[in-house]
Amino acid sequence: MSDEIQVRRAQIDIYLAALRKQLGGLPAEDVEEILRELRGHIAERAEGALQGSGTPVERILRELGAPEHIAALYRADSLVAHARAGFSPVLIVRTTLRWANRTAVGFAAFLAGLVGYAVGASMIVCAILKPFFPANVGLWIGSHHLLLGAEIPRPQGPDLLGWWIIPYGLGVGTAFLLGTTVFLRWMLRFAPRASRRVAAAA
Amino acid sequence: MVENGLENWEAQIRKGWLDVAILATLWKGRLYGLEILRELEGRSDLVIAEGTVYPVLSRLRKEGLIEGEWEESVSGHPRRYYRLTAAGKARARALARHSHEFLSKMDALIQPLLKEQTR
Repeated sequence: MSDEIQVRRAQIDIYLAALRKQLGGLPAEDVEEILRELRGHIAERAEGALQGSGTPVERILRELGAPEHIAALYRADSLVAHARAGFSPVLIVRTTLRWANRTAVGFAAFLAGLVGYAVGASMIVCAILKPFFPANVGLWIGSHHLLLGAEIPRPQGPDLLGWWIIPYGLGVGTAFLLGTTVFLRWMLRFAPRASRRVAAAA
Repeated sequence: MVENGLENWEAQIRKGWLDVAILATLWKGRLYGLEILRELEGRSDLVIAEGTVYPVLSRLRKEGLIEGEWEESVSGHPRRYYRLTAAGKARARALARHSHEFLSKMDALIQPLLKEQTR
């Protein structure tokens, strides 16, 4: 009898150890809670809670499903959380877009983000184009305002940056992209939970 | 091929309805995992592998729709009891309304097919 109990305990331990291994990427306290809950589930079913008579451990474990299958379901949710904390501009813009459909603040954040990314990207594009079109890419003083970009024909007036547009364009452009990403991530903390999740899962 | 398609379809359906069904089981009060499973097994065809319900509970908890509290059973096993939060109640009610409307329309739509079959 005690042998039987030991065999049962060993089966459960092997199952839970496999699950623990598969849950590797999750926070330690989440893993402990998951294992605690499933251990309770197995123990109660083995004792016959809510059904009269006990169930063999093999069957309980089979009905729970393979550890890698359960772990994959837990991990899928954790990935969503990772994405939300991530730095992917695509994901962040998509998330903001969902939010923009709901509130004015969300719309403003989306517009600001769009402008920020556009300015950053165009500066980098200028830097890249300069070697190919040295005469037409630059920063000029126009009649009323500064002109940045590729202009055909070349505008009147002095080109303020010359070749310096390459390092400046790359540096300031990258700073704009990063700054916009940080800004949107910060703004997203004020978005309703639901739209953050939906977009992150998309 | 047809069988396979049916299985896929059923798997998708189950996945989609599990959230609603779990929230519905908690409508009258708190339950722990095994009780939720028994409710679902007795009153729906949603559960195939019992282990799929726990990750859903974990997600609903992280979404703030349900909250869990640990308690020991008489025999000393840990149980996590779940209850709907205020947000969870609102969500459950909204989902129930949508489901009901959706299912009524669907039912009306497929009625002719069912009659055809019995002839």
